[in-house]
Amino acid sequence: MTSKIINMAERIKDAEDRFLESLLDSAPVADDGFSARVVGKIRRRLWLQRLALPVAVLIGGGVAIKPLVGLVTAVAGLSSLLPKELLGVTTEVIPQMPTIVLGAMLLVACLLGLRTLED
Amino acid sequence: MISGEDNELVARIVSSQDTTAFGELVRRHQSQVRNFLRKLTRDIALADDLSQDCFMHAWTKLHTYSGRGSFIGWLLKVAYTTFLQSKRKSKRYAEILEQAAHASEMEGRNYSVQSDEVTDLDKLLAVLNDEERAIIVMSYACGLSHREISDATSMPVGTVKSVIFRGKEKIRTSFDIKDHQYG
Repeated sequence: MTSKIINMAERIKDAEDRFLESLLDSAPVADDGFSARVVGKIRRRLWLQRLALPVAVLIGGGVAIKPLVGLVTAVAGLSSLLPKELLGVTTEVIPQMPTIVLGAMLLVACLLGLRTLED
Repeated sequence: MISGEDNELVARIVSSQDTTAFGELVRRHQSQVRNFLRKLTRDIALADDLSQDCFMHAWTKLHTYSGRGSFIGWLLKVAYTTFLQSKRKSKRYAEILEQAAHASEMEGRNYSVQSDEVTDLDKLLAVLNDEERAIIVMSYACGLSHREISDATSMPVGTVKSVIFRGKEKIRTSFDIKDHQYG
């Protein structure tokens, strides 16, 4: 009720208000491709956002590949130093360990792929 | 052309990043936003650049529109914020403002309502500061209510009313307009 009264009070215009309205009144601005330009800009930005993650992964992978290969070689070298009994422990306790590790890696890869496709 | 209320389009955009629906919103409101910014900056090219920035900001902030109040009110709030941000950064705006203020100083003091010059919008707006100009334009050119202006400018309704009063007073004084001369 109170807000209705306030709105009505706002709508009661005197000559000064009408004068200002007529002075500030202006013709509508034609679109002239404005909205198409804005939408085009937004679509480009969306594409850039979608490309950013795979490109970052590629660049990061490219940079990291050499140290990663070195790390894997070093770990492999270390494992040859360990006693054979210790290496066999994990496969004895969980015989399917290599399959589980492979499955987990495949699952992570699939989830990442699906997320990229969804985007 | 897409049908539907502004709020329905906003919901579609927020839920599925629908650029076509956003294009429809831009088509509907570009005229008001561009006119608003043209009056604030008094430079068509600058206003159109700012309008593009405004719609880009609107795209990223659309999820913050609660649906309370009109969509154009929310959009003008984004436009006003964009204008203030650009003003802080831009030297070009300062130059335009300086030129307009100089022109107003040279000619504006002795206008009377009977002369043709009083219809020159640029000179009339030049007597107002940014805040007064934005609020007067929102109220008289865009037809926003005091409540909507209050939301758009983050000012209390009472302050909006007093800014409008002060702006009208300045126009009256600067252009030597008497009450009976309106209309």
